[in-house]
Amino acid sequence: MDGPLTNAIRTLRFHQGEMTQAELGQRIGVTRQTIAAIEAGKYSPSLEAAFRIAEVFGVPLEEVFQWRRGD
Amino acid sequence: MSYREKVAWLSLLAIGLTYGPYFTLVMMHPAHAVPDFNQLAMFAKTALSQMVLLALGHWWLRWRNPEDARMALDERDRAIAHRATTIAYYVLIAGMIWVAVVMPFYASGWLLVNSGLLMIVLAEIVSYGMRVVGYHRTL
Repeated sequence: MDGPLTNAIRTLRFHQGEMTQAELGQRIGVTRQTIAAIEAGKYSPSLEAAFRIAEVFGVPLEEVFQWRRGD
Repeated sequence: MSYREKVAWLSLLAIGLTYGPYFTLVMMHPAHAVPDFNQLAMFAKTALSQMVLLALGHWWLRWRNPEDARMALDERDRAIAHRATTIAYYVLIAGMIWVAVVMPFYASGWLLVNSGLLMIVLAEIVSYGMRVVGYHRTL
């Protein structure tokens, strides 16, 4: 399911030494499955979780999540 | 499959294995007398069986996935549970209105009791079923 919210979590995990979904989930307080769902664009995280993810990668929020206007 | 989804499947299975036979027997041998202690005993056995199945199932799931079991519900779990509970609530309310307002015009006794029970069980099935659907849609 393609939503207007896309993300670069997979790339950012790769740049962090292939950080696992489980490790990222543990650091922001969600399950591995939730990270997988966010990464796949099937679940839109809360604003707080989005900021936490950006903080873990040390990048601004807009480098992690991108929103594009629907047609 | 996540731990929470397994728990939802377990709950569905426990309901199916206990209340399935209960309602089948109730339809085949409807009770007429009120109170009917055989009917009451059958319900008690069903409820107890469900509790035992759930306890054993939870124990097995925790034994197989100890780390996942310790993890608190996260925001996606809560969102899925909230949506499932909301839909199940409407099923329960509609069912209870039917049983308490419409059914008394043509039914009484154990038929009313078991119909009320059926509506509760249906709401539970919808609740756990929607959780399973929710986990599938968001993974």
